[in-house]
Amino acid sequence: MKIKSIISIIILLAFNACTDLSEKLYDRVTTSEYGLTEGEIETIVGRAYASLRGYSDNASGGTHAYPACEYVFFLTSVSSDECTLPTRYGGDWFDDGQYQELHKHTWKSNNKTVWSAWKYCYSGISSVNAVIYQTDKSPLTDEAKEKIFAELRAIRAYYYFRLLDLFGNVPITVSYEDLELPANSSRADVYAFVENELLDIIDLLPVSGYGRMTQNAANCLLARLYLNSEVYTGQSRWQDCLDVCAKITGTLEADYFTNFLTNNEVSQEIIFSIPYDHKAGTVGNYMASMTFHYEQKWAISAAGDYQWCGNGMCAQPGLYSSFEENDIRRKSLLIGEQIDLRSNSVIIMPGNGGNQPLIYTEDISDFTSSLQNEGARLKKYEVKAGETWERDHDLVIMRYAEVLMMQAECYVRLGASAQARPYVEQIRSRAGLSTPETIDLNFINEELKHEFVFEDHRRTDNIRFGDFFNAWWEKAADPSDKHTGIFPIPSFERQKNGKLIQNPGYTD
Amino acid sequence: MNFKNFKKYIVMVITIIAFISHSAFAQERITVNGTVIDENSAPLEGVSIVVSATQGAMTDYNGNFTLSVEQGTQLVFSYIGYVTQILSAQPTMNVQMQPDAIGLEQATVVAIGYGAVRRADLTGAISSVSAADFKQGIISSTEQLLQGKIAGLTVIQGSGDPARGSSVRLRGGTSLTASNSPLFVVDGIPGIDINTVQPGEILSFDVLKDASAAAIYGSRGANGVIIITTNREKKGGSITYNGYVAIGSVAKNLDILSANQWRQYVRENELMSAIDFGGDTDWQKELEQTAVSHYHNLAFSSGTDNGGFRASINYLDHQGVIINSFLQRIGGSITAYQYGFNRKLKLEFSLHANTDKWTGIEYGIFDRAYTLNPTVPVKQNGEYTQIGGTLNNNPVELQNNRNDDSSRKRLLGYVKAEVDIIDGLKAIANVSYEYNSNQGRFYRPTYSFEGLTDKGYGRKTLADYTNTQFESYLTYERTLAEKHRFNAMLGYSFLTNTYEGSGAERRGFDTDAFIYNNLAAGQDFRMGDVYSYKGNSRLVSFFGRVNYSFDNKYLFTATLRRDGSTRFGDNNKWGFFPSVSAAWRISDEPFMESVKDYLSSLKLRVGFGVTGNQDGIGEYKSLALMGTAGGAAYYDAAAGVWKQSYGVTQNPNPDLKWESTAQTNIGIDFTLFHKINATVDWYYKKTSDLLYTYSVPMPPYLYPTMLANVGDLSNTGIELTLNSNVYKTKDFSWDGTLTLAHNRQKVLKLSDATYQTDVVYSGSLHGLSGLSNMFSQILKEGYPVGTFYGPRFEGLDADGKFILANNGDPEALGDVQPDLTLGLSFDFTYRNFDLNISAYGMFGQKVLNAQAMNISYAGRAPSYNIPDSYLTSGINDKVTYSSYWIEDASFLRIQGITLGYTLPSSFLKKIGINKLRCYITGENLFVITGYSGIDPEISIDGLATPGIDKSISTSSADNVNYYPRPRTFSFGVNISF
Repeated sequence: MKIKSIISIIILLAFNACTDLSEKLYDRVTTSEYGLTEGEIETIVGRAYASLRGYSDNASGGTHAYPACEYVFFLTSVSSDECTLPTRYGGDWFDDGQYQELHKHTWKSNNKTVWSAWKYCYSGISSVNAVIYQTDKSPLTDEAKEKIFAELRAIRAYYYFRLLDLFGNVPITVSYEDLELPANSSRADVYAFVENELLDIIDLLPVSGYGRMTQNAANCLLARLYLNSEVYTGQSRWQDCLDVCAKITGTLEADYFTNFLTNNEVSQEIIFSIPYDHKAGTVGNYMASMTFHYEQKWAISAAGDYQWCGNGMCAQPGLYSSFEENDIRRKSLLIGEQIDLRSNSVIIMPGNGGNQPLIYTEDISDFTSSLQNEGARLKKYEVKAGETWERDHDLVIMRYAEVLMMQAECYVRLGASAQARPYVEQIRSRAGLSTPETIDLNFINEELKHEFVFEDHRRTDNIRFGDFFNAWWEKAADPSDKHTGIFPIPSFERQKNGKLIQNPGYTD
Repeated sequence: MNFKNFKKYIVMVITIIAFISHSAFAQERITVNGTVIDENSAPLEGVSIVVSATQGAMTDYNGNFTLSVEQGTQLVFSYIGYVTQILSAQPTMNVQMQPDAIGLEQATVVAIGYGAVRRADLTGAISSVSAADFKQGIISSTEQLLQGKIAGLTVIQGSGDPARGSSVRLRGGTSLTASNSPLFVVDGIPGIDINTVQPGEILSFDVLKDASAAAIYGSRGANGVIIITTNREKKGGSITYNGYVAIGSVAKNLDILSANQWRQYVRENELMSAIDFGGDTDWQKELEQTAVSHYHNLAFSSGTDNGGFRASINYLDHQGVIINSFLQRIGGSITAYQYGFNRKLKLEFSLHANTDKWTGIEYGIFDRAYTLNPTVPVKQNGEYTQIGGTLNNNPVELQNNRNDDSSRKRLLGYVKAEVDIIDGLKAIANVSYEYNSNQGRFYRPTYSFEGLTDKGYGRKTLADYTNTQFESYLTYERTLAEKHRFNAMLGYSFLTNTYEGSGAERRGFDTDAFIYNNLAAGQDFRMGDVYSYKGNSRLVSFFGRVNYSFDNKYLFTATLRRDGSTRFGDNNKWGFFPSVSAAWRISDEPFMESVKDYLSSLKLRVGFGVTGNQDGIGEYKSLALMGTAGGAAYYDAAAGVWKQSYGVTQNPNPDLKWESTAQTNIGIDFTLFHKINATVDWYYKKTSDLLYTYSVPMPPYLYPTMLANVGDLSNTGIELTLNSNVYKTKDFSWDGTLTLAHNRQKVLKLSDATYQTDVVYSGSLHGLSGLSNMFSQILKEGYPVGTFYGPRFEGLDADGKFILANNGDPEALGDVQPDLTLGLSFDFTYRNFDLNISAYGMFGQKVLNAQAMNISYAGRAPSYNIPDSYLTSGINDKVTYSSYWIEDASFLRIQGITLGYTLPSSFLKKIGINKLRCYITGENLFVITGYSGIDPEISIDGLATPGIDKSISTSSADNVNYYPRPRTFSFGVNISF
């Protein structure tokens, strides 16, 4: 009988105890438990800034959304007149023809590089919306919240500006909680949204702060918006652009390349940048490895301690020779013999390089099967032995030179060429060049090409100047409806959200 | 639950029935001394000799027994698996028992989870394998014992790496996200790592295939359940030793150009730019070694009527066929039990533990071996040759200049109590604890090719996992009016799993002297160099079962389980998993009497049940959480430092729940001519609420993907198992087993109102030349998982360029799932010799020979090596994915041939040995296949790269672990004292 009672007690206990199924958290917290102090909120706001570096997307087979590299940078650069990404002999970089499409402006809505830009922007916007939600729920004062909201909305406006520029008609979402599928807004509405957001918050933004959305950064963004207003809305706003530029303070660095040092945070010229540091685990900043030849490391370090390189993107033929010979900015392109520091002789390209010497040429003989050494390489940012795959230089988004050039362009556009000259002169003299007496739009266009080479400006400039739709190198003229001026809404997104309507001119 | 006792009980019942029908008349008392031997003349221990309901005896360890009975009394000799004999008592009796295939089959007790039944009483689809039928040869992972043994159970050993296990899948996969591995139950404890118990410790596997059988395991039963019963004590005492020594070498290499072939190619094609480095290197051979392995298992046991124990230790030293790769394992187990309170209480303790040490290989070596110019010597002037070029570095250097020393510890312990409360009512409770711990140690020295830019890289990791369970249940058994048998079971279980781990890594070492043992010596530190984590999940369950049989002819079973899991979302915390099944022993009906001679047994089984799979959810997936994230630091310009940012880590889904699989099974068991046992099962299973990381629109979601229950998937198939004593004379016997299974899978649905998915691209080709971001397969409604999708090859044009159908528009090109799997085993004995031949095969599955595709393109040679096949292929084009590279990978593998010899017991007796058998085994002797790659058996697990034969792994999404398979010869002995 004794056993029976012991057993009954055990069973009774067992049936009554332990039906609690709430989850115990150890290495993370629920959203309601974090963001209660100013310090915690700061770390949450940090996520909005971190989002600017994009994210890796291995789940989609490696369609990374990095503004400094694969594929956001590829998208805007390769589709412009400054870059190209040829298929190499043996098929390397063919990748389903997605880069050939970019170059030829024959992209389809399932092009993964196009998709990466969408993912980059909306991932950022969603992050910002989540941070706003978190901040809003926190016990901070309304005044403190407003200041934080201003910075967050400025970041979000930057993403929407890029969407406006790349895709035109995109959905606008500002809420983390609202999971209703959004429909596209018109390009005009997106334009108005960006403008209104910026106008709302500029005065609340901090005056200074490296890598932060300052008043200067927001004004520079607003000036960009006005500069391209005719493209976005059909209505030019050159004077508005000038007015905003006038509010921006800044200076030019004496040395152009100070802006592109590994520790380019020292630059006084930079208005807004996205900071990177491999020691902090930042990802997506490996453009150098996407452009240099596989054997480039021997030209950088005799010990060979330089990261693997993949021999991808290069300058479009004609870009290099468009620079004047003594233009110091031409050094942004790497061309000619690459010397092996071990032997002081020219590097030999093994494998599909056919054991030929590594001499970068401006010309590319065959777009669909180019030799390994063809095409000038992108070498704007500093390159050093011992660098990791993830580089440390910050990605320059806005610098004071842009403000000068915007003003110059607006004056020329308004027919006040003489007023434009002093702005251009500052830029030219730093580049080691003289400035002609009269400046026309063509001159401005060329100057923009050289000053901002490989800085993710070119596609927008090409469109504003209309060159984008002309034939160049391996590209035929775009269709006359110019629908290629904005990218298609990615098919991957339309599949998930049936409310998204495709941009005009795209059939799939 | 002690199955052995239950078996004995059944044997007793049968024997008593037999005794009653053959009762004798009393005469003069005599003392009977006798010996019972088996068909091989070996003494048979534990044979019961029944005189009456109250008198009987059992043979001892030497097969001897003594009885005092009246002369002429009928003695009933019975033993499981042997024909019962009734003999008149004589003063001296020498009895030889003959095996009874059918009797064994029917009387065998089958574990069904929280209990056991006679095979004859089964209503569900359950297959069993006992130790004698396990796969022979080197077993480095326990599930390999089952390869080719059970119809519908596919065990694919996708790699020859000694440190890697195989994938186990029953009746096709049911999940896109979760593991498709069955639930393993060790001595009644569910959810145990199968390698916690070692091959030498296992008595049998019972595989619960259909839902009516597996539903008792509820939300973990959807992929079937494999119940493992370990060896127990033997009455008296025994010592056994099993061991072998094995020699293995790579079974097959890829046919690529040798140095001389390469030179000829260069000459013939006048390739002026080719550089001849003067060497003659077979890079594949340079990476290989002859592997010598050995295994030892020593066990002893002792038992009395009131208790017993068994203890064993084992040691495996398994060398890999690739240089610097091995697995060493030391394991042990001890199980003891004791009865108390007049046999009303039984207590049992058990402990299984083992520890592994192994080195991992650098998986990049194979691609380099296929790529590197064969004229490059391995070393020049004592230094590894490096000729530059991408993916072109010296693979021997790569594999040698690294330290990769991992270790692992596994432990399972439990305490079990069984109490007889009143007649027929029993309470069983157990508490178990499982502990798994993995330690990783890695160092890449400063002088190594890959360690150069890091200036040395060291890492140490620790990952611990514990699984603590309490289970208790009551069983009640009753027979009414002799014809109504009831058996009911009611239980409760509580399970808590905790995982935790940490890791540290450093770069920038001034000396390589410390390898990974002094990470602080590295001076280049980064955010993310140290990390730790911890998580927990709990599962609470209530379950019950009722068995009812009428007249032993009509059998019914119903089960119900209710599972609640912390992993499930707030809106779905508890799930119900019911099942019903019935069986009809048709052969016991009077109208079947006339056909008894050739159809000696016939049973029809029908079952339906719902099981779940919660494996794919993972912890905390339903919640809105804040956390740090890799790569999400931010720069605090004011302070000039980088800080960790915090953010919402996932799209929360409070509706998350288990995947549920409803399965219908219809089966027939029959015996023909008292010789052939056959089982045929047909099933249809439909999995709903498929867990998948579905794409969600961004905006409005924070992340572009979200784990959710959306799709449906079906598997339908038919299985056949035949085993037969084909031929038998006094000296010779031939037994055979054949299993055949066919399964067809189809994705039924991938979308619902919230989640819209037309197609998911899978089968990544990322990492192959010119195929970045490319996929080779689709997941689409109407197709099975792993359907190849790409352009159809139509031919080569005059220039050797690929001509693709419809301008290269992709189409479905077949799938990776076999249409038919086959297992075949023959056992022959002749006097003291025994011979086993085992084969298994898979038919109708497609494999993408990405290995060949990646190295057969225009201009690859002379700089890189090319396969022999390229020379005659006529291809003169870039790497192009098309049906050209998709091959039928049907195969039949002669898995093992074992020839054994048992020394005559008459001789052994004199030196005190009970049994001594020597054997040789040849493993993986040959493969019959039309597949042109190295080996057609390619893992079909997961979505990343199922059925894709390639050695290249460059992205985390495609974790390819290619390693050549060995062919092995071993010599072994089995001894018992």
